[in-house]
Amino acid sequence: MSIATTDSAPARPGVIGWIIGLARRSPTFALGFAIVLVFAVLALGADWLAPFDPVQTFPFAVLKPPGGDFVLGSDGNGMDVLSRVIHGSRYAFGISLPAGALMVVIGVPLGVVAGYKGGVTDEVLIRILDVLRAFPTIILSLAVVAAAGASLLNVVLVIGFLDSPIFARIVRAEVLALRSATFVRAAVAVGNPPWRVMFVHILPNAIMGAIAQLPVRMSWAVRISATLAFVGVGVQAPAPEWGAMIRQGAEFVISGEWWVATFPGLALIALVLGFNLLGDGLQDLLDPRRRATGK
Amino acid sequence: MLILRFTLRRLLVAAPTVLGVLFITFMLVRIGHQDPVAMLAGPMADRAMLEMIRTQLGLDQPLFTQFAGYLWRLAQGDLGRSWQSNQPVLHEIIAHFPTTLELTLLSVGLGAIIGVPVGLRAAFRPNGWFDQISRVVSLLGFSVPTYWMGLMAIFIFFFLLRLAPAPMGRLSLEVIAPPTITGSLVIDSIAAGNWEALRSALAQLMLPVSCFTLIAAAPVVKQTRAVAIEILGSDYIRYARACGFSPRTVRRIVLRNAVAPVLTFIGTQLTSLLAAASLIEFIFAWGGLGHWGLNAILLGDFAAVQGYVLTLALFSVFVFLVIDLLVLLLEPRGQRR
Repeated sequence: MSIATTDSAPARPGVIGWIIGLARRSPTFALGFAIVLVFAVLALGADWLAPFDPVQTFPFAVLKPPGGDFVLGSDGNGMDVLSRVIHGSRYAFGISLPAGALMVVIGVPLGVVAGYKGGVTDEVLIRILDVLRAFPTIILSLAVVAAAGASLLNVVLVIGFLDSPIFARIVRAEVLALRSATFVRAAVAVGNPPWRVMFVHILPNAIMGAIAQLPVRMSWAVRISATLAFVGVGVQAPAPEWGAMIRQGAEFVISGEWWVATFPGLALIALVLGFNLLGDGLQDLLDPRRRATGK
Repeated sequence: MLILRFTLRRLLVAAPTVLGVLFITFMLVRIGHQDPVAMLAGPMADRAMLEMIRTQLGLDQPLFTQFAGYLWRLAQGDLGRSWQSNQPVLHEIIAHFPTTLELTLLSVGLGAIIGVPVGLRAAFRPNGWFDQISRVVSLLGFSVPTYWMGLMAIFIFFFLLRLAPAPMGRLSLEVIAPPTITGSLVIDSIAAGNWEALRSALAQLMLPVSCFTLIAAAPVVKQTRAVAIEILGSDYIRYARACGFSPRTVRRIVLRNAVAPVLTFIGTQLTSLLAAASLIEFIFAWGGLGHWGLNAILLGDFAAVQGYVLTLALFSVFVFLVIDLLVLLLEPRGQRR
């Protein structure tokens, strides 16, 4: 409880203090963090913030332009676009958070083990990474989700799996550089088992690059899941998912009802931009070399 | 001689990758929740008939035998038959590929022509006004979804301004298409001297290429800038400056040294852009390989999906090889190895 009383101190302890410190040093990070925070609030408070139920239809108010009761207009089913955009942030986080967690959980240990053990393990990993690199992520995830069935769980699993090699690669490179460092040799010399050396001694020193990459990959997850829904393989139509909404609006664009497709797209861009700025800012802050060259 | 040896070695290194690619495309169909046998047989089939089809397709064999059979058929150029068109998949791919390649290469080329100078200019004055603007624009290029940009372009330039033709395919319906030679409408209409078709083809290309160029240019700007900044901080540039070379000459040295890394980067981008092309084609009803592949994925046309994914992956392996060769020619340092 003493934490609360040290409020006026320049460096606050804990995660919040760390974030405030980072935001002070990097405007990029601050802006990205603010954008992501806004969407997080929208996602958590969607039930209270949205003026209407996102799937409630108003049969007499189909394709109403923005303004009036429907601030951002209504779509072809007579549903409120604003409410649907707000609720869409739930899908964005609901997919990108578990997918991001999955990428880290799969990719980081693989990278640590491959980097530390070297030899055959490393060779096999690099080969797999090479193979996966040959496939464009969008098409591979489309094909896999289409084949495995378009469920939310499958979308998360596919995005998580396909992006985990990126984390393996980043962590592996860091571990490779640390493998023969003095502190690692000391840890081995005092009798630590290999798993302890890898995950207690090396990992904390090799994880920074992966942390900075996480928001960028999460923005990717948001984009890919929306793309899947737009094409019609991901989250299905009446659900208020941004990609699915753009798909619904696509047929009206050519006849001039622009608002159905435009607003979910803008929300998508804003969140993707937010995640990207967050990642860029983190990278500047965590990598002293990049800071020195003045970006 | 050196190039031949290098190519052979790179091909050997690429072989396991190609094998992995083949295995993944082979497995792609088998992870499905849909049973291809049931889909082929239709709802009226009884159990005996299902078993018969299963045996016919070899799906009752062990996985390894099936994979070997798949490789054997591939070696003979047999990619199976697409059930939506009842054509051999290989023919469909050959028929559709030039269309997508025309769109993609045009956009990537334009993206590089715009992206490289912008990235260089931004790097020469980091954090200047030009750098800030180019940073914001390229960040937008990263964040804006391909298909959404296409839709907005259609709304603005077709619906509002009436500048662009209707986003329905590669040629206006009123124009007679030139005979197919290369598959690229622009080249074919020039070859046939059909100027009306050329004009229509170019007009139809305008919107998709503009959207696609923006998407292709954004990462090029970012990468070129990063590469140029690194080169500008190097000792040889400091030496060149100390020698009193004019800024113009220094820039030329930077450009010469940036060519190889930037080229490599564009090569790695080409695959994902070829994939992004499918979305652009989807929006503009383009009917190229991407459009065809996307439809195959949506309809569950297994042989076609396999063929499409395989084409993309093999194309990227091929591009990596070509880029490596180009870099070898451009960078004398690499030739000593």
